[in-house]
Amino acid sequence: MVSLVRRAHAGDKDAWDEIVERYAPLVWATCRAFRLSRDEADDVAQTVWLALLDHRLREPAALPGWLATVTRRECGRRSASAAWQRTHLKPWADHDAPADDAPVDRELLEAERNTALYAGFRQLGERCRTLLSLLVRLPPAPYEEISATLGIPVGSIGPTRGRCLAELRRRPEVAALIRSEGG
Amino acid sequence: METPWWADDERLLAALGQARRAADEVPPEFVSAAKVAFLWRDVEAELAALVYDSALDRELVAVTRGGQRVLIFRSGTDTIEAEVGPETLLGQLLPPRPGTAERQLATGEAETTPIDEAGCFVFSSAPSGTFRIRCRSQEGVVRTPWVTGGPR
Repeated sequence: MVSLVRRAHAGDKDAWDEIVERYAPLVWATCRAFRLSRDEADDVAQTVWLALLDHRLREPAALPGWLATVTRRECGRRSASAAWQRTHLKPWADHDAPADDAPVDRELLEAERNTALYAGFRQLGERCRTLLSLLVRLPPAPYEEISATLGIPVGSIGPTRGRCLAELRRRPEVAALIRSEGG
Repeated sequence: METPWWADDERLLAALGQARRAADEVPPEFVSAAKVAFLWRDVEAELAALVYDSALDRELVAVTRGGQRVLIFRSGTDTIEAEVGPETLLGQLLPPRPGTAERQLATGEAETTPIDEAGCFVFSSAPSGTFRIRCRSQEGVVRTPWVTGGPR
């Protein structure tokens, strides 16, 4: 991640594109969690990406956390969600309504988990990405199709899957997620 | 003790599937717009940070639209002041020196105007969307971060 940010800062467009591919889903899901309209989401995204170009590319560490925080803040500003405002801006008004912002918080946690897994996935080798994509497809691809696509015997699919998932757990973003969930 | 989700291959795979589908839900234009933003990367100019915004000040007393919005930006050596009104944007570069001011909109449009000996410049329209100002003089280029909104 740090090297990706350094490359983008130095002018490497491909590195920037990869950062966007990894983290646009986080920005999008956060906007969804706050129930923003499409226009509002576009507005949040513009603010977040321009701020990233302005400031954060100079400080590559902890980019995912920075993105999550800034996106939430921008969404919170635009959010029509009374529940969010009640809990986070006017805590004294809590007593007159149930804490129905639980879905927002749950969706934000889900978005961060998804982001870590997706970022990790994008760093795997091509064979692992192909295999895991076929396995998570709905409905999952039959083993015969996987075997033909990857050119490996059906009997190797299980062990290969295990190796790819082990590799996924070792990606920095996923390892950090596992640590944050008590692993 | 129960196996956590990430230690179990089946559940990790299910979580990855969910992450993949969440990524697939992102509209392509949402991603491409973010990629295009890279064009606005600006390493030539020195960044002057926003140190004062009257819009933030006034939120406390809930003043409505109409007045001037005052913005002050500062870098190590330079200050850019801007007064955003309903019809104009008046600015001053300090220490005062002549040059050219450029106002860039996040939509891609840009316009320039001269900076006079007193460091003053004027744009004869107020920006409605996200914008930033770049001031070029003999001493180099200094710019503001992106600012959202017009007067207020």
